[in-house]
Amino acid sequence: MKKQYIVAILFLYAGSLLAGGPWPQKKGQVYLKLSEWWLVFDQHYTDQGLLDPNITTGLFNTTIYAEYGFTDRLTGIVYAPLLSRNYMNNLISATNQELLVPGEAINGLGDIDITAKYAISRSFPVSVSLTLGLPTGVPSAGSEGNLQTGDGEFNQLVQIDAGQGFQLSENIGAYFSALVGFNNRTRGFSDEFRYGLEAGMGLLNNRLWLIGRLNGVESFQNGETAATISSTSIFSNNSEFTSYGAEAAYYVTKRFGVSASFASAFRGRIIAAAPSYSVGLFYDMSK
Amino acid sequence: MKTTVILFFISIFFFSCIGDDFIDDRVDPILRITNPIDSIALDSTYQFQISFLNYVGKEEEVEAEWTSSDETIIQVDQMGLASAKSPGSAEITAEYTDLEGTLVTDSRTVGVGERTVKEQTKGKKGLVSTTSTYKLTGEFTLTSNDDGSIELAFFDDYEASTALPGLYVYLTNNPSTISGALEIQAVEVFEGAHTYTIENVELEQYGYVLYFCKPFNVKVGHGEIEDQ
Repeated sequence: MKKQYIVAILFLYAGSLLAGGPWPQKKGQVYLKLSEWWLVFDQHYTDQGLLDPNITTGLFNTTIYAEYGFTDRLTGIVYAPLLSRNYMNNLISATNQELLVPGEAINGLGDIDITAKYAISRSFPVSVSLTLGLPTGVPSAGSEGNLQTGDGEFNQLVQIDAGQGFQLSENIGAYFSALVGFNNRTRGFSDEFRYGLEAGMGLLNNRLWLIGRLNGVESFQNGETAATISSTSIFSNNSEFTSYGAEAAYYVTKRFGVSASFASAFRGRIIAAAPSYSVGLFYDMSK
Repeated sequence: MKTTVILFFISIFFFSCIGDDFIDDRVDPILRITNPIDSIALDSTYQFQISFLNYVGKEEEVEAEWTSSDETIIQVDQMGLASAKSPGSAEITAEYTDLEGTLVTDSRTVGVGERTVKEQTKGKKGLVSTTSTYKLTGEFTLTSNDDGSIELAFFDDYEASTALPGLYVYLTNNPSTISGALEIQAVEVFEGAHTYTIENVELEQYGYVLYFCKPFNVKVGHGEIEDQ
């Protein structure tokens, strides 16, 4: 019996904040980031793209993100939500204060992504990457099976990134990048087309980076729905969104820094309608 | 700096605690005579029964005040026991004032004849429609079967969204929540005519058909059950 939910898609918001662009790490170099990402929502985009209320639901991921340069062209990337928490609020009668549906929570390991990124060209920043989404999280928990720290499916994302760095002025660096990807999903989930744009600007002698992002997911609508699977399943599929986001990363020392970001959706289908936030500490060996 | 970072991460854990969501689930209280009859045999008695649903649609034991419009034809005591005294008809009324001072009543016109005749069981009907932005529509009927079960039947015009996970159908007296509702089953048919057979339920017991996304506590729509 398949049990896959709305919240599975919410992890895409987290993934979209980790776009490393087309630039590989140099051989032996490391980029590490410890971050806390969270999303709390009490409404969602329906299949009509409109907003409906839902019980307040929270998702919190404490995540390690690491890049390592195996060669000057090949970079290995790990995204590991070491602690993932999913909760739903109590539902209480406003009329007589009676507890109608008790809230529940689950804590556990989230779904881990492992990526190999290969720089196609040394002269122009273009890379191709393969990400394996491992179903290491808990796909179903709670009295209704509606809590999860992962989506329970093994997916494979092939992605192409391209970009360019340049100087806006003598002291202001900048870059832009774009990505397109195909995400092959299993266990009845529809495959997805992913796209993204990113631009960044380095201020204060490149100690402070301000980054803007636009990301999206379009479903191929080739998976299952509630009408095509067994009657006892609770199943959500074909989620889509276009989101915007921003991040500020500040190098406190030459290599250590702090970052804060948010992302929110312009539009969506079967997805939470609330901004997600992230704060983190990073170590950048390339500096 | 270090302390600030640690405090920030700790504060996030507190932020992630389970909170409370409140839902407006008030409905008008209802008093129903649950075993109505058309007529009582002359010089016999009949015990009326009632059901009171409070302002959240839950059944409460109450003592109603019983009256007859014509005591020379039918007398009724304060326990709802009616006595047929002479031929004719009278209106039997049960009324109750709840703790908030709301008066609720139900009344039936009952004749006195040669024999006691139970009220012909009429079917019920209604129209389910969406109260969300998910698609849901369809006319339905609710009828009694000979084996004591009831049948909820939808017609060709029925249509429900397949996008929601865990869509369930209920019978309830409060269309805002599934608390106290009778869960019929998970929705398996999303288009066209189909029926549900429901055991151990009286035709008059519930006031609404409710569609609810159970795992995410999202109400999709409902239809009021009306007399045919």
